[in-house]
Amino acid sequence: MSATTTGTAAPEPLSPTTGETVAEVARRNRLGIWLIIVSCSTGTVALLVAYSYLWSLNVSSGWAPTAGQANWADDWPFWAIALGMVLATVLLWRSWRVMQAGKSGASVALAGLASLIFLVCFIGQILQIATFPFGPQDGAYASATLWLALANCIWLSLAMFLATAVMNRARLGRIAPDNASQIQFIAMFATYLCVAALLGAVFTLTMKASPNQSSPPFGTFQN
Amino acid sequence: MSDTAVIYEQKHVPQPRQVGKPGGFLHRTNFVTAVVSGIVLAAIFYFITGAIVQKVTGGGQQNNLSLPDGLQQQITMMYIGWIIGFMAGIGAFAGPIRWMLGHDLTHADAEYMSGKDMGRKKFWKYTTDHKVVGIQYLIVALILFGLGGLLAMLIRTELGVTWAEVFNPNFYNSLIGTHGIVMIIAMIIAVTGPLGNFIVPIMCGARDMAFPRLNALSLWLLVAAIPPLVSNLLMGGIRDGWTVYQPLADQAPVGMIGYQICIIVFAFSTGIASVNLITTVVTMRARGMTWSRVPIFVYGVVGSSIMGLIWFPMFQYSQILALSDRMLQTSFYTPASGGSVWLYENLFWLLGHPEVYVIVIPATAALLEIMPVFLRKPLFSYKLAIAGIFGIVGLSAVVWVHHMYMTGWAPSSNYPFMMSTEMISIPFSFLLLVMLGTMWRGKPWMKLPMMAVYAVIWNKVIGGITGVYLSDTPVDQYMHGSMFVVAHFHFMLMGAGLFGAMGAIAYWFPKMTNRYLDELIGAIGFWTAFVGFQVTFFAMFVAGLQGMPRRVLQFDQAFNIANWISTIGAYVIGIGMLIFLYAMITSWRSGKLAPGNPWGAHTLEAQTETPVPHENFPVLPVVTSDPYGFGVPDPYELLDSAELQAKEGVSKVGAS
Repeated sequence: MSATTTGTAAPEPLSPTTGETVAEVARRNRLGIWLIIVSCSTGTVALLVAYSYLWSLNVSSGWAPTAGQANWADDWPFWAIALGMVLATVLLWRSWRVMQAGKSGASVALAGLASLIFLVCFIGQILQIATFPFGPQDGAYASATLWLALANCIWLSLAMFLATAVMNRARLGRIAPDNASQIQFIAMFATYLCVAALLGAVFTLTMKASPNQSSPPFGTFQN
Repeated sequence: MSDTAVIYEQKHVPQPRQVGKPGGFLHRTNFVTAVVSGIVLAAIFYFITGAIVQKVTGGGQQNNLSLPDGLQQQITMMYIGWIIGFMAGIGAFAGPIRWMLGHDLTHADAEYMSGKDMGRKKFWKYTTDHKVVGIQYLIVALILFGLGGLLAMLIRTELGVTWAEVFNPNFYNSLIGTHGIVMIIAMIIAVTGPLGNFIVPIMCGARDMAFPRLNALSLWLLVAAIPPLVSNLLMGGIRDGWTVYQPLADQAPVGMIGYQICIIVFAFSTGIASVNLITTVVTMRARGMTWSRVPIFVYGVVGSSIMGLIWFPMFQYSQILALSDRMLQTSFYTPASGGSVWLYENLFWLLGHPEVYVIVIPATAALLEIMPVFLRKPLFSYKLAIAGIFGIVGLSAVVWVHHMYMTGWAPSSNYPFMMSTEMISIPFSFLLLVMLGTMWRGKPWMKLPMMAVYAVIWNKVIGGITGVYLSDTPVDQYMHGSMFVVAHFHFMLMGAGLFGAMGAIAYWFPKMTNRYLDELIGAIGFWTAFVGFQVTFFAMFVAGLQGMPRRVLQFDQAFNIANWISTIGAYVIGIGMLIFLYAMITSWRSGKLAPGNPWGAHTLEAQTETPVPHENFPVLPVVTSDPYGFGVPDPYELLDSAELQAKEGVSKVGAS
């Protein structure tokens, strides 16, 4: 490969660590976020596959939370939490837009509000898990539902951290119209979290009683 | 932003306020602080969890594994404490916290973190420079290979003759499981770890990876994940093979928790590394490096990273859910309460099979990179090689079920998956054809890297053909779970993967260490290991064809000869590998100094000097041609000669 060397005249603003243009760094970060979303999506798919797979098989008639009288989880908390996350995400997107327009004060306020809503959702998610009408050991539905909720809990704690960081950095002037894409990336990731939460809500709403009611017992595999 | 820093090409860049001295908290962190804080936090988590469990249960209860109640939770929390403590002690959390607090890095901070002017100390710290991370990966891979190889020797010692009973059967099973997963991890990082990190950014003409801090994070997560895995041998072991099928894993001793924690953390590490590598290649290539000028090794690393990115989370969740079954008594894999062991097998093999390609593709691509250099010929059908790599990446998504033919899961799916598995041999053949086409009528410069090409072609053909047998459902009915399968996958993973990695390391060793690898001693080690490998695994094919099952301690006398030969072969491999390792260590310390371009390659990493400057290139390069233009006159040479002719013309005219 033949190569020559040359210098590049970079326009402002520049990254303080690498000297590249902020737009160039943003382009790189955008792809990074997309790839992280792809990877996280596969994990979400694994959970949804586990849910639907066990629902469809109803192995040893062990899908429903308790034999005979099923105690399904209430649907509304899933939706309430998911809608809260959607609202917080919309606020983050808005925060990005107003930062681009140069209104940093409004951007800080919107990011702060988003962080607060994520916190409320997080507390709601903890409460939902604490008040499930079943324990983790009450069959496959209980296991799969619990983990959809736990995963949401982990995501929400991450979202809180990110939204709080956005608020703080915008407040300190570290995020300015020039590098507002930092908020956009957080909003992109939060959008993925919303999709994951909504899918969880859809699955738990639409897949309750298993279609397979004549499953043979598989035994315990214990010696 | 008040101050400015001079960056690279004399560019004055405004800097944020410097908080403290450059590097800040990272001045106080290194490997020792990481280990100490890991151990301390592990102990704290262990005792606090014990106290909580004691409080909740009142103590004295036993669970269905006859373990003291709460021990599993204590062990799990201990490992989690270790991981968090280790990562905190190495300084991994400093970046995110600084970012949240708004203390942006200055150029001086970034330089400190990249280990500039730090000497050897940088190898023990959370260093972000991709070259340091590459060397760190190499060391970690060598340690893992050493451990896995030692376990292999112990296994073969036990199998030398039947009824030898060198080890307790449970411990023997643990050796098998630990050997398997340690080697799988070592193989996954063998090429993409050291070379993906050290070579790929330079090959692309970049100054570093896209996300240098994530690069350090991926390395240290891997380091943190290893102790839990290895500690399993002290806690009852992994007795269920590297696949740790359910429900055996659910009933296994607490050593299994070490495996599960290791995989969960390792999957994070791999995912982060994959994001970093792909982003680097896509967004940081030198000017002029169009997709048709990207070196084939870079394509191989990207293909491998794509598979790691997509499929590793499946493996990770298979272990998260398994751990949940143990810790929280959920029932994902417990059939008595609605779980399914097939769910585990599906999630596991969704990565478990693509992982073979994660290992083999970069090693093969490295050899494709090597061949034009040592044959002084262009790479035959560059585009076919790219099609082969991405054909494998695509088809890897639809082959996992061939591991489950005999489990009884969805028998009607066996034939479609048989077809898809056989189809994947087509893109594999593309790569082989490119190799053969490049070699056609070439005159090889027979150095160690080129020797690896011949070894790998042989191994790959054997591994590939036996793989086609095993992908056929009717044949698999007889061969599954036998030593034939073991020999087959060793031909692919070790034969193609490890021997390819050895060739690749030999090729880029001068660039990484500034010294040539000792050609004679290296070749002796390489070919000794190769001969031992053939003896070991051909004998294993025979044992398998005779009907010997895998993962057994005692076997029929009829298999004695094959096993005896196989064990001798294994010792020969061990000797060969030790010789190769000796060549690496002595060459690294006092080998012959290498120039910047020791093999006369055309790729960018060969155009920069050795040792590679801290910023890789004094000024960023611009690419003007493809990397395999051997036999084609260099445009600059043409330019030079044209100028020369012109000058000569002028002087002749002047003279006349």
